[in-house]
Amino acid sequence: MLESAELHFNVDHGYLEGLVRGLKASLLTQQDYVNLVQCETLEDLKIHLQTTDYGNFLANETNPLTVSKIDTEMRKKLCKEFDYFRNHSLEPLSTFLTYMTCSYMIDNVILLMNGALQKKSVKEILAKCHPLGSFTEMEAVNIAETISDLFNAVLVETPLAPFFQDCMSENTLDELNVELLRNKLYKSYLESFYKFCKNHGDVTAEVMCPILEFEADRRAFIITLNSFGTELSKEDRETLYPTCGRLYPEGLRLLTQAEDFDQMKTVADHYGVYKPVFETVGGHGGKTLEDVFYEHEVQMNVLAFNRQFHYGVFYAYVKLKEQEMRNIVWIAECISQRHRTKINSYIPIL
Amino acid sequence: MGSLFRSEPVCLAQLFLQAGTAYECLSALGERGLVQFRDLNQNVSCFQRKFVGEVKRCEELERILVYLVQEITRADIPLPEGEASPPAPPLKQVLEMQEQLQKLEVELREVTKNKEKLRKNLLELIEYTHMLRVTRTFVRRNVEFEPTYEEFPSLESESLLDYTCMQRLGAKLGFVSGLIQRGKVEAFEKMLWRVCKGYTILSYAELHESLEDPETGEVIKWYVFLISFWGEQIGQKVKKICDCYRCHVYPYPNTAEECKEIQEGLNVRIQDLYTVLYKTEDYLRQVLCKAAESVYSHAIQVRKMKAIYHTLNMCSFDVTNKCLIAEVWCPEADLQELCRALEEGSRESSATVPSFMNTIPTKETPPTLIRTNKFTEGFQNIVDAYGVGSYREVNPALFTIITFPFLFAVMFGDFGHGFVMFLFALLLVLNEDHPRLTQCQEIMRMFFNGRYILLLMGLFSVYTGLIYNDCFSKSVNLFGSGWNVSAMYRASHAAEERGKMALWNDSIVRHSRVLQLDPSVPGVFRGPYPFGIDPIWNLATNRLTFLNSFKMKMSVILGIIHMTFGVILGIFNHLHFRKKFNIYLVSVPELLFMLCIFGYLIFMIVYKWLAYSATTSREAPSILIDFINMFLFPASEASGLYPGQAYIQRVLLAVTALSVPVLFLGKPLFLLWLHHGCGCFGANRNGYTLVRKDSEEEVSLLGNQDIEEGSTQVEDGCREVTCEEFDFGEILMTQAIHSIEYCLSCISNTASYLRLWALSLAHAQLSDVLWAMLMRVGLRVDTTFGVLLLFLLIAAFVVLTILILLVMEGLSAFLHAIRLHWVEFQNKFYIGAGTKFVPFSFNLLSSKFTNDDMA
Repeated sequence: MLESAELHFNVDHGYLEGLVRGLKASLLTQQDYVNLVQCETLEDLKIHLQTTDYGNFLANETNPLTVSKIDTEMRKKLCKEFDYFRNHSLEPLSTFLTYMTCSYMIDNVILLMNGALQKKSVKEILAKCHPLGSFTEMEAVNIAETISDLFNAVLVETPLAPFFQDCMSENTLDELNVELLRNKLYKSYLESFYKFCKNHGDVTAEVMCPILEFEADRRAFIITLNSFGTELSKEDRETLYPTCGRLYPEGLRLLTQAEDFDQMKTVADHYGVYKPVFETVGGHGGKTLEDVFYEHEVQMNVLAFNRQFHYGVFYAYVKLKEQEMRNIVWIAECISQRHRTKINSYIPIL
Repeated sequence: MGSLFRSEPVCLAQLFLQAGTAYECLSALGERGLVQFRDLNQNVSCFQRKFVGEVKRCEELERILVYLVQEITRADIPLPEGEASPPAPPLKQVLEMQEQLQKLEVELREVTKNKEKLRKNLLELIEYTHMLRVTRTFVRRNVEFEPTYEEFPSLESESLLDYTCMQRLGAKLGFVSGLIQRGKVEAFEKMLWRVCKGYTILSYAELHESLEDPETGEVIKWYVFLISFWGEQIGQKVKKICDCYRCHVYPYPNTAEECKEIQEGLNVRIQDLYTVLYKTEDYLRQVLCKAAESVYSHAIQVRKMKAIYHTLNMCSFDVTNKCLIAEVWCPEADLQELCRALEEGSRESSATVPSFMNTIPTKETPPTLIRTNKFTEGFQNIVDAYGVGSYREVNPALFTIITFPFLFAVMFGDFGHGFVMFLFALLLVLNEDHPRLTQCQEIMRMFFNGRYILLLMGLFSVYTGLIYNDCFSKSVNLFGSGWNVSAMYRASHAAEERGKMALWNDSIVRHSRVLQLDPSVPGVFRGPYPFGIDPIWNLATNRLTFLNSFKMKMSVILGIIHMTFGVILGIFNHLHFRKKFNIYLVSVPELLFMLCIFGYLIFMIVYKWLAYSATTSREAPSILIDFINMFLFPASEASGLYPGQAYIQRVLLAVTALSVPVLFLGKPLFLLWLHHGCGCFGANRNGYTLVRKDSEEEVSLLGNQDIEEGSTQVEDGCREVTCEEFDFGEILMTQAIHSIEYCLSCISNTASYLRLWALSLAHAQLSDVLWAMLMRVGLRVDTTFGVLLLFLLIAAFVVLTILILLVMEGLSAFLHAIRLHWVEFQNKFYIGAGTKFVPFSFNLLSSKFTNDDMA
């Protein structure tokens, strides 16, 4: 099975894999970041980005340049690349790519619902939505008043529908419920994605499973961290944890009991993977847990490129590109706000 | 010969450009294309350089120009391309130009925005009218098939008023109507059903006309829909869903009169809009036409300006910040011209202090500049594709001009094919100024660029074709064959001669299938054919054997001459680079090695051709055996080619054997000796004459001392200077590799030249097969059908000849000829490790402006 899969891989997906590897080679290098950090204005940043693979993607922007313009253009570029992958992909890669967009779709749905709660106009929020996760029914999200409404009316035909099984309720949508909905959706999304990769087998499973396990555990840690000091009960908290990570089941049970950061850290200390991660938190440079997780993620994604004949490269590429975009936005923000002391705390892509 | 034999001497010059005149000076230099600038700010990142602002301004102008070109092409206005290229704009004009362009852009954007708005408006109105027209049918149908309304008998019988009755029934009856894209209808309907749980009635119909989407400008099919619903809340939801599916919703008229009114109003407005739109478009066209006149020259000017600022970014400022210092590579022959360009630049900007230049000595290797014309360019490209020559190295392109077409022709030897190729190339050469040829695409461009190569290849093929006496695989009897068949008859000879020779009589002629001509019979062979191969061979069954032997020997001879020539060119290199020892220690042993083995082989071939005639041919020894015996020293003394052969061969072999160790060790040992000795003799002597001015006695004393003491402090001193450069092991290694490669390659390369024979054989056989399979068949059919058949066959023959024999075979012979030059010829002397001289010249900027290279 393994050999035959490798034999046939290139027939269906060889072109796209080659393409994605080529695109990965065009990610900004350390030298590029060093140059970017030296920029005085956003115009300088633009000039420097022109010498990289971004080319003159900002050429037709009228002045003055703002960070959000850069961000949207970068997103558009990534979206264009991703759409190209999707349009040229065959099964099961296309399902895999659909799975990848699901997380963005969840974010968008939640964003829209939050917007509706705060009575903001749909147009304004649509601009903030990630283009990778946009779909036609998206704008109708604010029609719904309860979760089952949302599911029955709006999302039943989208790829998100299967994730709703666990979180159907007749509760009205207030902010807490929306947040719970997001986490529940994410949980079933991650579990379903994990199952898909596992069933697919081959190198894809070998590469993607650790990445998704990490993703699940990261969510568990972040949920725990965010729930400190809120009215969320411990039982409710447990229902939000994705169960496909390494922490499952022992670590998750311990996490449910955790009441502050130090207790969380002791839980993490039981795991060889997360111990060093937690040890670097707050060390030199005052890194936050989020940053440290990002660094670890980047590492895993870069490693994904060391294997051939698997779909993980697509996931890894999009994640790396996202990280790069976050870095550029961070640097651009630092430049535009003249806040240069923290400019170096971007996360370099190895 | 001068400029093509070696690259031109290039020197490093420093230009001192006064800050005010730098722009004009560079403009003058760019027009002339004299010098190559060196980047003096390599470690400065691109946005920290001096003229970034100006470059940015140029980019802004380019952006505007791209926009203009886009709009102009969208309006289908032809872009005039000026012939002359305008010079870079003087600084004073730049601002003016920028203002002008910016004004134009603003104006254009406004007009197009207005136009778009009007257009959108118009499209919406058109949609509205369509919608009204279609929905009217819905209502009527609704009424007809809705049974509920029949329970309430209507007072008015007019069908148009049914609808008002409906409105009276349900006070809160609401309508939403509009247009939706065809692809979304199904999902829209489903969503509507799910959200409103069936409390709506949706009717829709396809619009027969395709309409333009006001937002994207796409022309697509639309559906008109009408939703009727009860209740305010559902209405909200319906509206949201409509928004979500990007429907174009228009107010629905409540009564028929209203509908009529609206329709009329719409028609009037549409008419108005058409006139306004027409006028706007007319104005836009005028603006664009005006812009189109100058856009070409502006584009070139901006591009030149940008090039100048890019180059200025490579210069460094001197301490006073008053003048720019640029370092340039300039061909020595052009220094005068360079000065003149600087003067002109200073004069133009009316500067008080002139810009000037001076040459500076440098240890760096200058770039290689070989000036070519349209004839030599193709050949130079063949050489450059292998590697750009090192500075001042012998340039093989000069010899390639003749040897390349010649070796090609040896493989392609066919009079007819060569002539066709020659005609094709001649056509290209005669029409080389034709605009369609100069702008042609890839494959044709390849032929066009190599037109002079093709021309010579064709000419030489005609020559070799005449030698081989091949014309579309048939021989041509131009001068009358040198063989006489009738002399073979018994009757024509005297009685006493008949006994010795195998002559023919009538019965032999009649009964044997194959007859043999014997050249030793007097009168049969009357002397060689004046030029090329005797056409009688075309009839002979042993023709191939004869030609193979001839072509094989010819290829070996040509190959060895070609390679020997390469080694001799190496001597020119050593002479020029003042490395005389290389001649004695490398080139001469190489030559001896080559000539003693393979030169001798040539000698044997030629000697055998001359020394043996038809009568003595039976005693002629085999060259192959003799050549092998040269190395084996057989015990039994076979009859050689000439007396004393064994001794001469042994001497030659000894010379060969001796040249190998010289080749291996000569150069490294000499360098070692030079290195050690330079401490004793060379350096001290030089030091005496140039620097030290010590007395001669002292020097000789010093020298003696060193010889006696071997390595002492002087050598240490010497080591400090050169020890990084001198590594005996490495030199020995390089030389050993080089020698082994040379000795082995002498043998393999000689064998490699046999491809000349192989390809020429293949070509001849292929054309022979083509003739036999097509033409011979056609010529054998009797006359009535034959004419028709021949007509078709000749067409096929022509097509196949061109495709297979000319294009395919030509390509393969071309590749093999390239290989023979790159590998077998050039590795004897050519290093090819240089960099090309790329002058700062406006001519190199592309003069076309398409959207691709500007955007």
